[in-house]
Amino acid sequence: MTARRGAALLVILLGGALGCGSLAAQAPERVEQFVYSIAAFNGLDYAGTFARREADTIYLLAEVDNFLTARNGLVYFWPITGEWKLDLSALDVAFEGTLELSARGQPPRSLGMTPYTYYNVRGEYELNWKVATEAEAVAVVQHSRDLISAYYEAVADYRQERMEYEQGLQDMVGTIVAMREAGEDVTELVAEVEKMEPPSEPQPPTHYVVPPVPVQQAFIINLPVGEYRIRMLTADGAVMEGSERRIVTFARRRAEAVGLEVIPGDKWTRPVESTSPSSVLYVDGSTDLYLRPFYQREFNDLFYEKMRRNDARGNPGLMKWVRIQQVPGAVVETAAGAPAAQPRTVQEAPFFVEQLPGAALGYRIVPFDPVEHTDRQPSLRAFHLPLSRERPVLRVRVLDRDGRPLPSSQRQVRIVAPSVRARWALLLAAVPLLVLVVVLVLRSRRVSR
Amino acid sequence: MSPRLRATAVIARRRILETVISPGWYVAQTIGLLLAYLLVAGFVRAVDSSGFDYTLAPAYDLIGRSLAGAFGSTFVSKLFAEGPFLFTLYVGFLPVLLYLAVSSVFRFGLEKKVGALELLTYGPADATAYFLAALVKDLLLTLVSLVVLLLFLLVAAGLNNLVLGPAFFSSLVILFFLCIAIYGYGILAASLTDNSASAIALFLGVVLVFSIVMIGSFTVVSGYVRNLASVFAWVIRWISPLFYWDLALRFAEVGNWGLFALGAFLLLVLTAAVLALSHLTMKVRGVRP
Repeated sequence: MTARRGAALLVILLGGALGCGSLAAQAPERVEQFVYSIAAFNGLDYAGTFARREADTIYLLAEVDNFLTARNGLVYFWPITGEWKLDLSALDVAFEGTLELSARGQPPRSLGMTPYTYYNVRGEYELNWKVATEAEAVAVVQHSRDLISAYYEAVADYRQERMEYEQGLQDMVGTIVAMREAGEDVTELVAEVEKMEPPSEPQPPTHYVVPPVPVQQAFIINLPVGEYRIRMLTADGAVMEGSERRIVTFARRRAEAVGLEVIPGDKWTRPVESTSPSSVLYVDGSTDLYLRPFYQREFNDLFYEKMRRNDARGNPGLMKWVRIQQVPGAVVETAAGAPAAQPRTVQEAPFFVEQLPGAALGYRIVPFDPVEHTDRQPSLRAFHLPLSRERPVLRVRVLDRDGRPLPSSQRQVRIVAPSVRARWALLLAAVPLLVLVVVLVLRSRRVSR
Repeated sequence: MSPRLRATAVIARRRILETVISPGWYVAQTIGLLLAYLLVAGFVRAVDSSGFDYTLAPAYDLIGRSLAGAFGSTFVSKLFAEGPFLFTLYVGFLPVLLYLAVSSVFRFGLEKKVGALELLTYGPADATAYFLAALVKDLLLTLVSLVVLLLFLLVAAGLNNLVLGPAFFSSLVILFFLCIAIYGYGILAASLTDNSASAIALFLGVVLVFSIVMIGSFTVVSGYVRNLASVFAWVIRWISPLFYWDLALRFAEVGNWGLFALGAFLLLVLTAAVLALSHLTMKVRGVRP
C-alpha cells in the first residue's frame, strides 16, 4: 500500500514537474497591435525600433531624417532580455495614408509617405550616412545593384579566365613533359610557361560601406527640437484608432568632446570607454593599454535610450556621452607625472592578436608585421600606451592631425593597487576620537583645578 | 553690534563649547571617516586592468547594483568617473550632518518644552537669537567637519595614488550651502512643534519628502510613477534645498561657474526665507510650548 502510494505520489510529482516544464517552455503571448515602426538616426547609424500601443512617446534626434511607418504586427514580451519584440513574420500589414503632425501653437500639417533609402559611403573612419528620396533613391539603389552586378560579372569573367589559364598551363606542362620524355628541347616552352600570368582577382565594390536599403515608403520625420503630436489618417481622412502619439525631438547638449576607448592588453575583446572629460582612468597596471580616441556628443540619457529602443529605460535627469566617430588622423600625447613633464607622442599603429599556444588559452598583442602576418589583417589599430608601476601617473591628451590639442581630451591614467601603506588612513579615521580624549582630559584637569 | 547679534554670538560660543566637549560630534566624525576609508579601500580593490569594475568588490557590488537599478548605469558611471571620492564625500559626511541637524532640533524642542528658552527671553536674548546661535554653531562645526573630511580624503588619495576631481570640489562647496538650508528647515521644524520628538519627526519627514521627490525624479522608472514624481517634484522643488543643490551641480558639470554660484546663492535665499518663517512662527506662537 505504502509503495503504491509512493508510486502515485511520484507520478503526481513527475506530472507536475512536466506540467511546469511545459508551462515554462510556452511561447510568449503575441498580441496584434498597431505600431509605429521606426528607423531612427542615433548620431552614429540608423537603428530600428517600434512604438507599441502602450508607448505614448516616440523619441527622435532633431534636424535629421528619421523614418516612420505604420503597421499592424504581433507584439510580445521576451522575458529573457526583458524587451518588447515585434514579430512581422506572421503578420505584417503596412498602412498607407497621411500622418497629421501638430505642434503647440501651429496648425497641423500632413505628411505623405515618401520612397527612400539610406546608405553610407566610405570615409576615413566614420560612417557617412546619406539619405536619398524619390527618384534619387531609386537611382542610388540601382547604382549599388549595378556595382554588385558588375562585380559578379567580373568574378564570372575571372573564373572563366582562371579556368582557361589553368587549362593552358596544364596543356603546356603536359606538352613539356611529353617533349622531355621524347628528348626534345623544352627551353622555349618553359620560358613561355614562366611568362604566363594568372588573371587578377576582381575586388568587391567598396563605394558603399553599407549598401542602400531597398527603396521603401515611410513618413520622413525631420523636425527641430520640440514636442509634437502625430496621428495617422486613412485615405478617407478618418483617424486610425490607436495611432496618436507624442514625438519628442531632442538635440545634443555638448559636442566635439573627445572620449577614449580603452583596450586593456589582457582583455582586448572587452574595451571600456572613458567618456566624462573629468574622468580618471584607474588601472592596476598589470598590462599595457591601447587607446582609440573618438568624438562624442552628450544627450539626455532617457531620450537617447528611448530613441534607440522605445521600451528601454533611462534617467531623465542625466546626460550621457555617446560615441559618434573615431578622431581621424589623431595623435596621442603622453607625459608621466607632473604637468611639466616632457610629453611624448604616440602614433596610431596596427596590432595583431596572437593566440598563445598551450592550455592557458591566453593571447598577446604584438605589432602587426606585414611579413610575419602575411594574408592577415591587423586585429586592431590603436595607440599603444605602455604602463609601468614606476610611472604611477600618466597624463594623456589627444591632438588632431595638425597637432592642436582637442578639447576635453585630457585624461589621467593612474595605477592603483591595494597596499599596506594605505592602511595608515584607517588610523587617521580615529583621530577625532583621539582629539576627544585630549579634550576630555584637558577639561577634567581644568574642572579639577 | 545689535543686542540680538551679541546674544547670538554669546549663545553660539556656549553651544560650540558644549558640542566640542561632548563625544557625539567626534563619534559622528569618526564614523564618517571610517565609512570613507572603507569606500576608498573598496574602490582600490575593485580596480583591475581595465579600470574600475564594481563587481570586483563585494561591498561595491551591492552599492553599484543598487544604484544602477534605481538610477541607471549612466548614473553609476558618472558617480565613479573621477574615482570614489564623490560618493565617499556624501556618505562620509552624512553621519555628521545627521548628528548636527538632529541634535540641534532635539535641543531646540527640549529647551522650549522645559522652559529654558522662555528663561532666556527674560534676559537680553530672544528666540530668534537662540535659533540663529544654533545655526552658527552648526555651520562652524560643519565647516570644520568638511575640512577634516577633505584632509582625510586627500591623505587617502595620496596613499592610494588617487586624485580628487573637479566634481568632488564643486560638490564639497555646494554641500556646505545645502547644509545651511537643511539646518534652516531643522529650525523651522522645531519652531513649529512643541517638543523634541515632534520636531525631529517633522524635520526628518520634511527631509525625507525632499529626498524622495529628488530621487523620484532621478529614478529610472517608467510610466505614471515617474510622471507623478515629476509633477510632485515640480511643485515641491521651489522649496527643496535639494533642487538648488542639483541645479548648481548641473551648472558645475558644464563649467558654468556663474550659475553654480547662483545656485549656492539661491540656497542662501531659501535659508533666509525659512529662517524668516521660523522668526514669524516664534513671534506668533511664543516661546512656550
